[in-house]
Amino acid sequence: MTGKPRPDLNDTATTPYWEAAARHELALPCCDGCGLVFFPPRERCPGCWSAELSWQPMSGGGTVWTFTEVHVAFYDDTWADDVPYVVAVIELDEGPRMLAGIVEPDMASLAIGDRVEVTFEDRPEGVTLPVFRVVE
Amino acid sequence: MSVLDGIAIVGVAETAIGKLPGRSAISLQAEAGVAAVAAAGLAKGDIDGVFSFSGYSQAMMLHAVRVAEHLGLRPELAVVTDVGGPGTHHAALLNVAAAIDAGMCTAALCTYGENGISIRRSGRGRAPGTLTGGEDFEAPYGQIAMISGYALFAQRHMHMYGTTSEQLGAVAVASRYHASLNDNAHKREPITLDDHQASPMISSPLRRLDCSLISDAGGAFVVTSIERARSLGVPYARVLGYGAAATHHIPSQAPDLHELGGPVAAARAFERAGLTVADADAVYIHDACTFSVVAGVEALGLCVEGEGGPYAESGALALGSKCPVNLHGGMLSHGHAGGVFHLLDAVRQLQGTAGRRQVEGAEIVVAHGNGGVFSTFSTMVLGRGP
Repeated sequence: MTGKPRPDLNDTATTPYWEAAARHELALPCCDGCGLVFFPPRERCPGCWSAELSWQPMSGGGTVWTFTEVHVAFYDDTWADDVPYVVAVIELDEGPRMLAGIVEPDMASLAIGDRVEVTFEDRPEGVTLPVFRVVE
Repeated sequence: MSVLDGIAIVGVAETAIGKLPGRSAISLQAEAGVAAVAAAGLAKGDIDGVFSFSGYSQAMMLHAVRVAEHLGLRPELAVVTDVGGPGTHHAALLNVAAAIDAGMCTAALCTYGENGISIRRSGRGRAPGTLTGGEDFEAPYGQIAMISGYALFAQRHMHMYGTTSEQLGAVAVASRYHASLNDNAHKREPITLDDHQASPMISSPLRRLDCSLISDAGGAFVVTSIERARSLGVPYARVLGYGAAATHHIPSQAPDLHELGGPVAAARAFERAGLTVADADAVYIHDACTFSVVAGVEALGLCVEGEGGPYAESGALALGSKCPVNLHGGMLSHGHAGGVFHLLDAVRQLQGTAGRRQVEGAEIVVAHGNGGVFSTFSTMVLGRGP
């Protein structure tokens, strides 16, 4: 086991995102210039190139835009204890799309368009990941 | 007029394809390169430009000059292009054309390929060993393989258009049929739709037989001016139109299916060529998975958006149809070592050297497809020279 991939927690563009996640909050940058909320976080708005940004809490609600159930531990045994697991693209209610896991998925019913809400997974490798749970 | 009007692809070659233990990627590229120069009717001393890419299983610095050193060449230009998928090779053609036009090159060797199987045992790399762009926001969730990125789009296509696993299976069956006509293909044993449906799920909705192979292999082509090609007296392919589009890097940042770059790249290429897909005698679609072909036939306009599944199921992909797809067997069956083989086989069709899979009298052949996970698209419309 080589350990799961871990984001760079020292990248100044993204540290507020990971600090919020550690507090079990989902926050994204919002452009002060054009109002765009975007993902992934970066130091400049991809819409208008303004560097004036404010971090905003997200509602945590979204819909499943697409998903896949991964059945194979690719490359090595890093994910061997996790397969099968679900990776999804979630469209947040605020607009941006992000990739994340879906926890405790019911594969018999999981579908594109399902409503989800954010929850948080404190990983042993020292990072908290926003993940999503299907809501009725 | 475009600089691309002045170039000719005069020689193509590929190595054996499959599990080639002990063979380094650069030795495979060099072997293909030497064979391509010979096929062009040229000699080592004629090559004054090297264009290459290392492939993703072992990405390297300054790869083209590494190839040049390996082959004892001291060219003016040794250039790497990395656009993803077929775009890498198509962009090399653009670079060569500009170099020839600028008087910086008269005959270029373009080499590709990797040892995606055997690299794992060397401990020096894996496929892909490069940073895929999702290090911070996708890999921590287990989105680490290209194929699960493709699965996300296949799933959405099924949701939006009713595409089925059996329709994807038709792509796999057609590819394997073509590979059965190609003695150099990695997998030549014919398969049935039942075989496809019985193959294990890898990343839903994609099964093992929906996935491209990983192969050890090298491929190369030689480009020179049209004038030089004529004097060599070898059959060659010309560039009639080239188009591309780049929209995103990581899967979550992709636009929706109908806004992906495929149709845009294809439309740009056909417009520049003054042709339509109805003029094509065959097409080659970069098939990282079966779904890539479904998306590709839609993007090229062989069918309308959303109808790629039924189109594949209709038998339209196979040799003998009006516009067969991936006659070498594609990456699904012929081999996957970076994706150059589509371009090589497109050239063979135009040279009339494709053997049992030859489309009689092929005049126009199109190479198309994506790099990344539908991140970049590239379409090259090729014509028979002279």
